Amino acid sequence: MSTVTTNERSDASRSTRSEASADIAQLRKGRKSGRKVRIAGGKAVLVVLLLGFTLFPAFWMLSSAFDAQAGAGGQQILPREWSLSNFEYVLTEGGFDVFLRNSAIVAVVTVLASALLALLASVAVARFRFKFRTAMLLMILIVQMVPLEALVIPLFVQVRDLQLLNTLLGLMVVYVALSLPFGIWMLRGFVAAVPVELEEAAYIDGASWGRMFRSVLLPLVMPGLVATSVFSFITAWNEFIFAMTLLGGATENYTVAIGLKQFFGEHSNEWGYIMAASTIITIPVMIFFVIVQRRLSSGLVAGAVKG
Amino acid sequence: MSNTLQVPTAAPGASAPRAAGGAARKTLLTRSRPWLLLAPALAVLAVLLLWPLVRVLLFSLQDYGLREIVSGEPNWIGLANYGEIFTSPELYTVVLPNTVGFAVFAVAGTVALGTAVAVLMASLGSFWRTVVGSAIMIAWAMPAVTGTYVWIWIFDADRGIVNETLQALGLQDEPVNWFTNRYTFYGIVLLNVIHHGFPFVAITILAGLLGVPKEMLEAAEMDGAGPWRRFWRIIVPNLKQVFAVVIILSTIWDFKVFAQVYLMPGGAGSNREALNLGVWSYVESFGQNRYGFGSAIAVLLTLVLLGITVVYVRTMLKEEEL
Repeated sequence: MSTVTTNERSDASRSTRSEASADIAQLRKGRKSGRKVRIAGGKAVLVVLLLGFTLFPAFWMLSSAFDAQAGAGGQQILPREWSLSNFEYVLTEGGFDVFLRNSAIVAVVTVLASALLALLASVAVARFRFKFRTAMLLMILIVQMVPLEALVIPLFVQVRDLQLLNTLLGLMVVYVALSLPFGIWMLRGFVAAVPVELEEAAYIDGASWGRMFRSVLLPLVMPGLVATSVFSFITAWNEFIFAMTLLGGATENYTVAIGLKQFFGEHSNEWGYIMAASTIITIPVMIFFVIVQRRLSSGLVAGAVKG
Repeated sequence: MSNTLQVPTAAPGASAPRAAGGAARKTLLTRSRPWLLLAPALAVLAVLLLWPLVRVLLFSLQDYGLREIVSGEPNWIGLANYGEIFTSPELYTVVLPNTVGFAVFAVAGTVALGTAVAVLMASLGSFWRTVVGSAIMIAWAMPAVTGTYVWIWIFDADRGIVNETLQALGLQDEPVNWFTNRYTFYGIVLLNVIHHGFPFVAITILAGLLGVPKEMLEAAEMDGAGPWRRFWRIIVPNLKQVFAVVIILSTIWDFKVFAQVYLMPGGAGSNREALNLGVWSYVESFGQNRYGFGSAIAVLLTLVLLGITVVYVRTMLKEEEL
């Protein structure tokens, strides 16, 4: 009997000891998790602040665009009168249907022409070694940095001499030139990433250079070509200073970026219309950005991981 | 660049059966192939980028106005345009501070915010990282023109939300026109430029951050280095190259802000206090028809950017072989 009690007692004491150590562990864990909670809370506050700052302009643009009473004063965070009337006005009487068409034509022609030229040139600089190759690359890199303000004066005179002022053709030609350097620079990386062995294999199979280009290089560079095209699309779509200078008074040829000026009055601005038109302009850019973005950032990450 | 294809001499299937003359023509074709491929792009670049650059230099040495544009006759005046720029008090009191001062604040703000966001994103789980990443992508994708209009609307003098909120809170009695004062004007430009520019910095630095070896950071933490110290002692030295590229590119971009200033109320020249180098050049040329004088300003801006670009190219060359 006594043995049982001692056993019990020892059991009891063991259990209290283990309980105590469990308590201490709990206490430690509690302190640690308290710190963790505080860090997580701080992070949550930062994320909320960041999201607020980042998204507010886009949100405000949408909210005003859908509010029939935008610009009437006393605006709330959410539209007081949900309606599509701003969009309706902008696309009909506002003339944005024409501006959108103009911008689309300019952007598509720019994309096709600059993609073709950039692809050929990037194959040359990525696949061949020739005299002045490095000089050429440096020139392409430097030319990208030239401010548009310096180019707009001589190009205005040049386009004027060619009697292309106020035409979309003049604008397209300029945009092809503007998007070329970046296109060559970017595609060069994609071409260089295609293993040379694949090309050699094509030659061994009896393919000519042209055949190899069409059947081996082109399909493999396609993703890069898409990404580059998206960038030149965005350039042509967003460009402002040349559109303003070269199109001048020809309202019927305006692109979307300068078409917005229509809604600025002498005394009051039609903010509902301006924000609706801004939304229409922004949406295609956002879509294209999402397409390229994954490729862009994953490419950057891959490069960084490789070192 | 060791994998560069020298000359595809190994095209046996195609060239072997040909006659000798055909082979000679073939090598000529092969040798000139890079130039044939480059020719169209080079022609476009030469006519539309290089020749204009030469021309803007030539214009800057002339009194080039409407008359000269129409007649096409040169009217050389030597360096008089440059003399006028450097003796103009406007350059020192308005234009240079607006250009250089703004660039300093904008670059510092963009890089600081971008880095902070990158560090925050690196510490988040994958769900929230995607959320934050998508949000900053929206800020990045917003075109400069529409973004600028949205900021103008937010700060609008009559009905902007900033004025209405401040009045509702009782912080000001009357609506303030934020665009007439030079400092608040550039404050709004700064907000606009940082908002549009920090996502690029954040994404680029995040990519670099994820490449920093975890063991290094853990070892530093074991040795008792706090987060601040870990950032300056391990992350910054590891990402020196990335930071250099990001800072230089931001500097180039912030030196030539145009639409963000030009589109603001008074920014197109009517408020002389708001001029920066690019806008000054544009309004002198197309507002006053003084294309020669405007060209001279544009040449100066180009030279400044070229200087920064040289630094950039040298950094790039250190990183990779062209």
